[in-house]
Amino acid sequence: MSTLDRTAELVLPPPPRRAAKVWALVALLGLILAWAFVGTGFDPVALVQGVPKMIDMASRSWPASYSLVVDPSAYEFPHRLTLEQLLLPVPLHGDLAYVKTAWWQNTWPNTLLGGTLQTIQMAVAGTVLAAIIAFPISFLAARNTSPDRSVYMAVKSVNNFLRSIPDFAIGLVLISAIGLGAFTGVMALTFGTATVLIKLFAEAIEGVDPGVVEAVQATGANRLQVYSFAVVPQIMPSFLSFVIYRFESNIRAATVLGLIGAGGIGELMTSYFRMFQYQEAAMTVLVLIVLVMIVDFTSARLRKLVI
Amino acid sequence: MSEPVLSVRHLSKRYGDGAPVLRDVSLDFEAGEFTAILGLSGAGKSTFLRCLNRLVEPSGGEILVPSAILDREGGQIDVGKFGARDLRRWRRKVGMIFQQFNLVKRLTVLENVLSGSLGYTPGLPSTLRFFSSADKRRALLALDRVGLLPFAYQRADSVSGGQQQRVAIARALMQRPAVILADEPVASLDPKLSLAILDLLRKVGQEDGITVLVSLHVLDLAKRFSGRCIGFAGGEVVFDDAPERLDETAIRRVYQARTEELKAYPIPT
Repeated sequence: MSTLDRTAELVLPPPPRRAAKVWALVALLGLILAWAFVGTGFDPVALVQGVPKMIDMASRSWPASYSLVVDPSAYEFPHRLTLEQLLLPVPLHGDLAYVKTAWWQNTWPNTLLGGTLQTIQMAVAGTVLAAIIAFPISFLAARNTSPDRSVYMAVKSVNNFLRSIPDFAIGLVLISAIGLGAFTGVMALTFGTATVLIKLFAEAIEGVDPGVVEAVQATGANRLQVYSFAVVPQIMPSFLSFVIYRFESNIRAATVLGLIGAGGIGELMTSYFRMFQYQEAAMTVLVLIVLVMIVDFTSARLRKLVI
Repeated sequence: MSEPVLSVRHLSKRYGDGAPVLRDVSLDFEAGEFTAILGLSGAGKSTFLRCLNRLVEPSGGEILVPSAILDREGGQIDVGKFGARDLRRWRRKVGMIFQQFNLVKRLTVLENVLSGSLGYTPGLPSTLRFFSSADKRRALLALDRVGLLPFAYQRADSVSGGQQQRVAIARALMQRPAVILADEPVASLDPKLSLAILDLLRKVGQEDGITVLVSLHVLDLAKRFSGRCIGFAGGEVVFDDAPERLDETAIRRVYQARTEELKAYPIPT
């Protein structure tokens, strides 16, 4: 007799009764959803009425102002200097040197290309600075490498507190303290990134193989030597991966910080929108999209390489 | 009889409020002796070895070593009373071999061997993984002794398990050890490699006059290699004699087996 024939004889267990629970859950989710929509003033009529305005704005943004990037006049090259004098580190005197510095400091960052590069510079500087700061501190914030339990608790809780401050708030505080500009943006990024990296680094340190740590301790190595031989080689791939990932997010964060006046392409974008220069703003958005795509692609490649 | 290189007196250990893992262990070890430590899992073998270099902090008792080992004058000193600095100076004289090899996988074989000299080079260069050419030369010689010189610049996780354990032995030799503690060094290796590794441990021990303590759970290996067997059961020493004296009664005591258990699951001898 095959097993199939026996199915009729099987005494099935009673089916689960969860209908009531499921309906209660659905009702609860529905209430939460309604609460969220009512609280945010959900208004589909306004959305539909806004469509013509959107189309109008899109048509005014079209075509995007490519000349912002390709037209030499967009760069306002000072006519008293040759291109060579402006771009290469040739010695200049008096007035000419002043014109050159002024162009690099004031004109270039406000061109679309210069602003984009400044955003990248902000992300690079902020990320690397944060990694350098976070590296030693993370050893204090990891349970297995912290010299003392109270140090571990203190560093960890202070870091948790600092990490909960939004980048945006830090940016605003720093702007009122050290003024507008890319440097402020870098400092805000450094702060926000360091606190996140400390947490991620510390978790990576806590995941190392304790047997290797024990083996290096057993050779008579001191604390720093144990870190260098047993801990650092084990965590290096995750460290690099975290840093690259944070660089990627910092490109976006640097743009957002630009909106509050901390330099780079984000600052350009807001000022074009405020002056109703939609074609220029559209070009800025396009450049931003390309930038983010390139960074996403390369960082994914780089992270594969280190792991 | 010469002064023992290691005198354990009334050593005890308990973790927290748990049952004691070691109870009143007293043993002497001569220079150059090769001792097998037998016992079931949880009998206290690992804890005993780790107490000797204080990877595990003993709860009581003394571990006496000649002060000459720390280049001092005088008689014996207690490892349990060492401060951080003296402890490192003691640890560098004690090589340790682990069941899981515990090499730093992402470093080269040579760097792993060089880590054996860390206790002698506490400065910044070694912390940044720079070593003197003399140290590198010694590391290469140690690798040559374990037959792995051609693998010096390979990553440690690229060599096989048996080879990794040889690297670990070279790392221990780099420490110029007076004692080698091997905690189940062959438990992760096949029988053939087990013989080769134990043979190598016995050989370097004889050549350099190193006291070797090896914990094993295969009775046959203990009988074959050691000059002395110590049996642990329930944290106590229940046998301490030449391997030839391990008769059925002794085995039963070490493995806490009743006669009917021994009949059902005979311990291979």
